[in-house]
Amino acid sequence: MTETNSMTAGLRKRLEESEAQLAETGCYDGITTLECRDMDPLKFETIHMKLRAGCVSAREIARRISASPGVREVGEMVAAIYTPEGDAVAISNGIMVHVHTMSRFIKWMIKNDYEHDPGINPGDIFANNDAFIGTVQVPDVMDVVPIFHEGELVGWAGAVCHELEAGGITPGGDVALAQERFGEGLFICAEKIGLNDKIRRDYVIRCERNLRMPIYWILDEQAKVAACFSMRDRVLELIEEVGVDFYKKISKEFIEEGRRTQLARVRQLTVPGTYRSNTFYGHVTKGKPGFQPLGDPDWLYSIPLKMDIKLDGKIVVDFEGAQPWGYHSMNCTPAGMDGGMFVTLTQHMNFEGLVNDGAWLATQLKLPKGTWTNPDSEFCATATSWALLLPAYGAFQRMLSRGFLARGFLEEVFVGQVNSPMIEMGGISQYGKPFGIAHFECAAAGSGALAIKDGLDTAYVGWNPESDMGNIEIWELDMPMVYLGRSILPNSGGAGKYRGGNAFMSTWVINKSPEVRIVTSEHSSRVFDNAGMCGGYPAPTCQKHRVVRNSNIYQRAEQRKPLAHSTGLDQNDLEQFYQGNQQIIEGPHITAPMKEGDIFTHSYNGGGGYGDPLERDPVLVLDDIIQGHSSQVHGERVHGVRFKGSMDDETLEIDFPQTLSTRKRLRTERLQGAVPVMEWYESEKDKVKQGDFSPEVLKMYRAAMDLSEEFAREFRAFWQLENGFTYPEKEQEGMNNE
Amino acid sequence: MNNQQREEYKLLIEGQLPWPQTKNLMSSYKDRDRFFKILEIYQDKVEWDEKILLPIGEHLFIVQKGNQCIVKCTCGHEFGDYRKNWKFQSVLLVRNKVEDLESIYPHSDVCDPSWMEIREFICPGCGTLLEIEACSPGYPITFDFCPDLEGFYREWLNHPL
Repeated sequence: MTETNSMTAGLRKRLEESEAQLAETGCYDGITTLECRDMDPLKFETIHMKLRAGCVSAREIARRISASPGVREVGEMVAAIYTPEGDAVAISNGIMVHVHTMSRFIKWMIKNDYEHDPGINPGDIFANNDAFIGTVQVPDVMDVVPIFHEGELVGWAGAVCHELEAGGITPGGDVALAQERFGEGLFICAEKIGLNDKIRRDYVIRCERNLRMPIYWILDEQAKVAACFSMRDRVLELIEEVGVDFYKKISKEFIEEGRRTQLARVRQLTVPGTYRSNTFYGHVTKGKPGFQPLGDPDWLYSIPLKMDIKLDGKIVVDFEGAQPWGYHSMNCTPAGMDGGMFVTLTQHMNFEGLVNDGAWLATQLKLPKGTWTNPDSEFCATATSWALLLPAYGAFQRMLSRGFLARGFLEEVFVGQVNSPMIEMGGISQYGKPFGIAHFECAAAGSGALAIKDGLDTAYVGWNPESDMGNIEIWELDMPMVYLGRSILPNSGGAGKYRGGNAFMSTWVINKSPEVRIVTSEHSSRVFDNAGMCGGYPAPTCQKHRVVRNSNIYQRAEQRKPLAHSTGLDQNDLEQFYQGNQQIIEGPHITAPMKEGDIFTHSYNGGGGYGDPLERDPVLVLDDIIQGHSSQVHGERVHGVRFKGSMDDETLEIDFPQTLSTRKRLRTERLQGAVPVMEWYESEKDKVKQGDFSPEVLKMYRAAMDLSEEFAREFRAFWQLENGFTYPEKEQEGMNNE
Repeated sequence: MNNQQREEYKLLIEGQLPWPQTKNLMSSYKDRDRFFKILEIYQDKVEWDEKILLPIGEHLFIVQKGNQCIVKCTCGHEFGDYRKNWKFQSVLLVRNKVEDLESIYPHSDVCDPSWMEIREFICPGCGTLLEIEACSPGYPITFDFCPDLEGFYREWLNHPL
């Protein structure tokens, strides 16, 4: 056992004191007066800017060391500087979700007495990717190094990269097939992986022998450690400049300032009150190979959210009524839930000023134990927690946006983020070597609409605000698949006065490989896992894969015949152009390996719409059709626009008088077809009482009512059901995987 | 509010503000009295006289009517006390058949109607689609927003309600 390290003496006690001071005073670390700021506001800002610049440049250094296109091209990385207690002082851009998950990791080590064993010393390097300690999923591997000044711990530098291969039961990192922790891949559980500024050889060997593509992970480790050293140098330089006592004081004031700014911004941009939203996710794996009969293969998740904005500006988000955790990969830990909250706030509230853990301190998450948001079993898998996190925080964005709308800040209203299904692969590369990779072009889905304009096409995901799909040519270097095309998916944004951003589809031919396993994840194919706002529709559900095995594409290419580059609008171009075994597969795609000449398509998701589609400017509707963003049928049916001429001879134009009368007619038809809500309610009540629903819906209600008294009470009250009403399990409903 | 700012906010509400100006609005410090400026523009746009207290949707406002605060549509239709969910006073179209869903989603995959339905809440006065819920059959109607109206005016705006 290592002897007590005098250089970090009392670290756990210090952390407990800091938490007690927050609870007692309401201010971070008991800081009730911002003396450094009040004394010299300019110096205050300048010093924070220097630290932030240190984080940003450290991240850029790391991106140039990494071998991973995920880090180099897409920017799946973040770097941050922490206090000795593990609170973020300054952060870089990038996957900011991990700023707070790293904070949890540092605090976990402190609370588990790492200062005694294994010891916290100058030159140490610690790593973690265990979500129950502090990350979201196994591929999110974080490294932190302590920063010592003349023998005293003055902070930590930390960096996270999302790894493209994690050594799980299937290649990649978002392992849909993982039903327990034991299939997710290589775990590093708050481990000291380096000494004296050097990563240990035995740790590298472990990585080399447990990963399909260790070069990504190992060079990312070098990249992160370099980033941490760079930030450490910056902090020590700053201490030389301002003195250690001043640094220690001001770094904590930055966090308290961040907390106060967050509260002030909530009071500035929103309206106090109670906001509610919900979203859903449909998980379907019945009959797919590889899934163990541990639980139901198909699961419908309801994700209800309640947000209270208090008069002091505090945001409280409550997940009461959420579904239980399950034997699937979509569970999330409180660290991941915190991270989702943090990255959303940085985009909507903390777009300037001091961005750090202070923002998080001004919020509260209520995560009921036993739900997917806070599992009571640490054996459960979290490999694809984003599948539920993204819809959940999309709903959070809509609730915040309702506040922006009410306050008059229409330019900030945003219908929110969506899921973006991941494709991963492994097998034999085009170079004849084993390989495995997660393809990160999913970091460019369609965004939700705004209250004043359409959403962004193929340009936004919630987890990484930089949102970049990466260049085709770079991805082709790393996988034995050649792009036939990347195409806009017409109509993939939700309809509205302003439509959601459209998604894209990629079409590949497997090339120069006898064996490629393609696996996909985060598919809500049975329900919309996003929503619109103020009359806008949700974006379509996750699209199915189109596959052609044993295609004749090489013969066609040799014969100089045209090739199909996507499925086309009617989704049958592949059938028209290629001979072979045509398949339509609902995700997740888990099938037998593919090989050279096979063709595969994968689609990403669009965003939800805003406002009544009949109010959309007809000129925008026509423009979308001409640009290939939507079909003419869509424009006519959904937006009530009438056209003259034809796309074929480029004479298509709007028939304005016909459009006006059509829209008037459609509104009349709406009113004729609709029923008063109270009438609908009366007719639905019996159906609800009888439980006249599909087995998945019944199971969803039963699970929520079993787990949450509050949900059960509200459900019964809404439908006027007697006390104690529930949906008993029917015999035939057992695990239909048996 | 000067005429230039009024015109700018009017264009913002109408979705007509050119992108450089919109971007500037997004990136600049927010004006402290934006709320009252926007209310003024909304009030000029509607044809009824009740005082707007708070926008809560693209077409819905909480307004002062006598001693009551009620929800009202731009068309003038009234939905009752703002503390009760206005959706109960609307009319509803439910899409729970594949063909009804596909008519809104041509060329795309849609939800399984036994797992999820689309509820369209429509203003009985003007036929405008006010809000959509995509949820499982039997899911209680969501009350999107119940503001703390008194607290907002009293403590955040320092203004009598």
